[in-house]
Parts: sequence; structure tokens; C-alpha cells
Amino acid sequence: MKVVATYNIKGGVGKTSAAVNVAALAAGQGLRTLLWDLDPQGAASFLLRVRPKVRGGGRKLVRGRSDVADLLRGTDVEGLDLLPADFSYRHMDLVLDESGKPARRLRKVLAPLAAHYDLAVLDCPPSISLVSESVFDAADALLVPLIPTTLTLRTFEQLDEFLAGVDRRPQVLAFFSMVDGRKRLHREVVESLPQGRGDIAATTIPAATEVEQMGVDRAPVVVRAPRSRGARAYEALWDELRPRLGL
Amino acid sequence: MSLEVPTSTFALPAGLDPSAVVALLDDRFDLELDPPATVRSTVVDTADRRLGAQGLELTLEGGRAAPTLVLRDGAGSPPVTAPVVPRRRWMAGDLPPGPLHDRVAPVVGVRALLPLAALRADVRSLRVRNGDGKTVVRLRLTAHATLDDGDRPVPLESRLDVQGVLGYPRARARVVAALTGDAGLAEASGTLADEAIAAAGGDPSGLRTKVRVRLAPHDRTGEAARRVLRDLAGMVEANLPGVLADDDTEFLHDLRVAVRRSRSVLRELRNAFPPEDLGRHRRALRWVQEVTGPTRDLDVQLLGWDALVADVPADRRAALDPVLAVLVDHREAALRALRRALRSASHREAWASYRAFLDADPGPGTVPPDAARPVAEVAGRRIRKVYARMVREGGAIDDTSPAADLHELRKRGKELRYLLELFGSLWPDEAVRPLVRSLKGLQDVLGTHQDREVQAAHLRGLATELAGRPGGPDALLALGVLVDRLESDQREARARFAERFASFASPAQAGIVTGTFG
Repeated sequence: MKVVATYNIKGGVGKTSAAVNVAALAAGQGLRTLLWDLDPQGAASFLLRVRPKVRGGGRKLVRGRSDVADLLRGTDVEGLDLLPADFSYRHMDLVLDESGKPARRLRKVLAPLAAHYDLAVLDCPPSISLVSESVFDAADALLVPLIPTTLTLRTFEQLDEFLAGVDRRPQVLAFFSMVDGRKRLHREVVESLPQGRGDIAATTIPAATEVEQMGVDRAPVVVRAPRSRGARAYEALWDELRPRLGL
Repeated sequence: MSLEVPTSTFALPAGLDPSAVVALLDDRFDLELDPPATVRSTVVDTADRRLGAQGLELTLEGGRAAPTLVLRDGAGSPPVTAPVVPRRRWMAGDLPPGPLHDRVAPVVGVRALLPLAALRADVRSLRVRNGDGKTVVRLRLTAHATLDDGDRPVPLESRLDVQGVLGYPRARARVVAALTGDAGLAEASGTLADEAIAAAGGDPSGLRTKVRVRLAPHDRTGEAARRVLRDLAGMVEANLPGVLADDDTEFLHDLRVAVRRSRSVLRELRNAFPPEDLGRHRRALRWVQEVTGPTRDLDVQLLGWDALVADVPADRRAALDPVLAVLVDHREAALRALRRALRSASHREAWASYRAFLDADPGPGTVPPDAARPVAEVAGRRIRKVYARMVREGGAIDDTSPAADLHELRKRGKELRYLLELFGSLWPDEAVRPLVRSLKGLQDVLGTHQDREVQAAHLRGLATELAGRPGGPDALLALGVLVDRLESDQREARARFAERFASFASPAQAGIVTGTFG
């Protein structure tokens, strides 16, 4: 099972949209896919119409005292299952801090699922914390959405520096998200990037109405409007990511 | 950990309008319905239904525009698909890389995937949703299904598949309760694929290699043997079209096994048949074995080729390409000869005559000496005698014995094995099974010994032909490596012979044979 995490230290940059759509695309291509909504706000769970509730809460789950199979929920997308969010995940840093080897905990939770899934997508809360470290340890790849602003590259470089210090460095694929072609700044930032950087995807995700509409439809845009501009952009992003995961 | 989601299939009785079931569900649940679509599909499986036996269902869908193989597992997983190029058959290697290939390839092995029955049906997807509008049960209604067999479609049972969604078992239970209680439906006894294959005249369980004849110890040997032989003759006939079409190598293998077993019955129980007919039919079966032998020998060479050359240093492996080309050419020639032989009028006449012999009522007249005796007595006596002879002949084999002695012992071993396979059900399993196990252990060693002998001799025999081909001298050098490898395998097998034979011929084993079959 390959593990990819959508991550950014900032919120509201398109992590959940990327996680849900990439997971739905993978499932649609026949990969047995799991999405773990690690964000206590539960946006991914909401989009997939699953109640953000985990029996026993995050503490029991992270400490290995819950049978993770009982917590999984099938979604409306065939082949995509969800490990839902829970409001108690807001204390996950504390729970990890109390555990032995906190950076390894999430990988341990995922271990028994490895035989059942080809891909796990982790939708992470915006922070840089013990949760992030545990995510970095569990992930084979980080999918990092970037809003094209002047400080964006600086933030991305900070992440790069942080990852240089972790034991098990995942590969990184960043992509520009919520790109508004009418804004000069967005165009300039996207165009100013050095060509051929291996860690930044050629695909950009547009700030499109149909992507925002997901919150109303409660379905991935790649399912609800597969021919839309937004859906095609996520498809192109997944096409870039999939070979990097060896899938 | 199990993440399987239960799936049930309900049969809709012939008089029940499928739309009434949909209406009932719509009345009870928040139901989302897709419009019905007429779907044409073809059931695809190996001739021996390897996928079906694993609970897998493979169909070819999408018509000519987008031919796609669709794999369903009946365990709640979503269908896995792969676009394919239309063919008469697909080998595992013909499937595009991906999840469908990875699921199917290990199950089908060397067998070909063949179209077994064409279907047409009105298919409709339904989803039961909960208060959040979330799908909690998936249903698939297959109505007005027919076997799409030319001008005369054969109607098939309408079905409703009910598939749970992980984490929502109660919703599925409520739907099942409504279907079994209010609608009075019962679970279907088999799959639609099974029903379609049966309607197309096939056996839903696929071609088989095991004889399915119920024997009782006191059955008259003549009749019991004929029943076994008729079953074996059916296997020969079932495999023949696949052999002639050269769909995969196992048709020929299974045909030859059925012929060999038949010859064994005719030889071992010869006193149960009228002697005037016996010789003719035994010769006819031996002829089938002879005309099919060269192709099978080449199949063995080609199937084992990758494993054989794996040990050859990479820089010399390419030099073996001419050897492989010669083997492929020889197989094509052997197959042409096999087809001529098995399509010949003389073979058809001989087979019809053999079939008539099996179906004939022996009638009054002179009764062959063993014909009326109980089959357990006659077969038991043969098992005892063949075993005793193997113990005697095998005991005389030492390090200086020629390879031919081991080959003879292997042939006897096959006789014994077939007697046990075909008539072993007449005795307690706990007596038969250890004998079969120790015999199998011995036969594995003898089989490897003989096969390597034949393969090495065959490869050495290619030398003259290879020398005249481009790349021949290099190929000859590399060929030497292969022959060495085969001879080394053969020596290893011979080194294991004494231990395996000792177990087979042990006093404990001999005691069981005498006590059981005596």
C-alpha cells in the first residue's frame, strides 16, 4: 500500500479537495483506496457524506486500542473507503506526545490495512506539529497545494528544510492550487517558477466554481462533473502523481 | 482483518415483474435509480472455470467500440476493468498491466481465457440512501436476461444483487429483510454466468479432470469399468475442440491424461471385457497417445523454457534464441500432424467404434471372467499386484541400473495411481490416502528423472539442425549449458530415489496394502 498525504502548513489552500478527488480518481481506476480524514474539522468526511465520528475517539485509535476495520466506512465512490474524522483529533498532538515513538504512530495504525488497500490518502490538518511528523513518517509522498502568492515559495522552502531533518523523508510533489488566471499576481508567480523543477507539478488546479460547488453537492468534482475544467485538472495531477508512487 | 462486504443475489420468479420489486423497494427506502440499460456481455473464463471456482466473474462488455474486461468478485469490491483488444482467446500475458491482470493472472496460470456464453440483459443500478443522502446499499437488477445465441435467445432468470457498503450492515439487513419477507424472494442457487453456460450447453463447473462416477464395492466390474471409461471418453471429447483450436496447452494435457487413464483401465481390468474387441480399442487409444505425444513433449519444453534458461549467464542467453525458434517450429509441425491425425476419418471411425463398445450392453453370450465379479475384488487384486510388482522391481534398482529401469517403474506407478484415483473410493480414505501420498512422492522423483532424460535427449537431437541456422555455433555452445543443467536435475532426482522408494515400499505401507486390498 502506498501512502500519499495532502499537506500544507496553511489552511484553505485546497488540501481536502485534492485528497478527495485524487482518492476518487484512484478508486475509479480500480485501486483499492482508503482516505483518512485527519482534520478534526472533518471536511473530507462531510464531502463524502460520512458522519465525522470515530467510535472510541482518536486516542484509542492512535494507541492501537480500536479495531480500525470497525471504523471504516464505504463511500458513494465505489472502491473508496473512508476512515472518518473525529473532533477529538484536535488533541492528537497531545495523544501522540504521550505515546512512545510518536512519529511512528500513524504508520502503525495503517499497517494492518496495507494488505487491503493499494493506496491510502491522508488529508492532514494545517499545522506543523507532531501530527505532521507522524504523517511524514507514514507517507511515501506529500502532495502540497500552493496558492500562487509571493510568500508561497518561501513557505515551500521552509517545508523542504524541515523535511531535510526527518528520518524517513517522503518525496514531495507541490502544485499550484486555486489559480485564478485573471489575477496578474497568480500568473506571474506560476510563470516565475524555474522550469523543470521535479518537485512542482506541471498541472495547476484552477479556482473553478465546480470545485467550490463540491461543498454543496457533497461529492468529488471528478465524480459529479467529470468533464469540467476542475475535474480534468485533478485528473492531470493524478496522472503526474501516480507513476511517482509506482502504482 | 476482514473488510469483505456481504453480497447476496436473489432470483426473481418467472411470473414476477421486476419493476414490482423496484416499486416495493422505492416504497420502503430512499431509493436512487439509474435508468435501465440494455447490456450485452460475454462470460469469460478458462475452460475449467478457474475464475468461477474462486468466486470471480469476468465478462467482456462495451461492444465493439470499447471492448473491456470487467472483473467482479462478489465480495463487495468494485468491479475492476481493463480495455482489451478483441480476440478469440486471451492468455494472461495478453491482458494490459494493471489490477485486473494482477488479480486474474495467478488464477488462470497457463490456461486461456475463452468466451463461454454471450448474454443480453436489461441492467439497472439502484442505491439505497440514508438521511445524509449517502449510499448505504447498492443493488443491481438484471432483468429480461437471455442467452444471446444466434436467432433463438434462451430466457434466463432475472436477478437482483444486493451489495452492502462497508460500515453500514444494518441498512443491508433491512433491504434483505424486505426482499425475503415482503417480496418473498429466495437467494439464487448459482450465478448468472453458471446459468448462461448451462443454457449454452456447457458444464457450469467447467471441464474437469476428476472422474465423477459413484461406485459401490459390489458393482459388477464390467459395468463399473464401462461407466468410468464413458466418463473418461467424455473428457477426451470435451477437450478435443480446444486441442484442435490450440487454445491452450492444457486441453492436450487433459486429453492425454484421460486417454492414459482409459488405457490403464482396459489393461488392468482386461478380463472384464470381451477379448475380441479389447485389442482393437487398446490399439486405437495407444495410437491417440502416440500422435499427440510429440506436441505434448514440445509443450513441456516450451512451458519450462524460462525456468530452464534462468540459470544461463545473461550474456549467453541470447545465443539460445535459435534453440527456442527451432522448438517453436517443431511444435507447429507437430501440431499440424496431430490435427491431421485427430481429424482423420480413420480416427473418427475408431473412436465411434470405441464409444459403441462402451455403450454396448454386453448381453448374453460368453461372459468375460471378471465382468460379473465385484469391482472391489477385481480392482483390489490389481492394486495389490501392481504394488507388489513395483516393490519387487524397484527393490532391484541400484546405482548401476540403467535409466530404462526407472522409466519402467514409473509406468507401473502410473498404473497404480490411476487404479487408486479411479477406484480408490471403494476403500476407506485413511488407507488409500497414505498410499497415494507415498506413491506421489516416488512418482515425482521418477517423473523428473524421465522428463529430464527426454528433454536432454531432445535438445541434443537438435544439434544438426541448429548448426545450419544463423547463430547456430553459439547456440550449440549455450545448448551445452542447458543439457548440463537437465542432466544435473536428473542426477539429483536419482539421488532422491532410494529414500522415496523406501517410504513407498516400507513394511508398514505393504501391510496397509495387504490389509486393505487383500
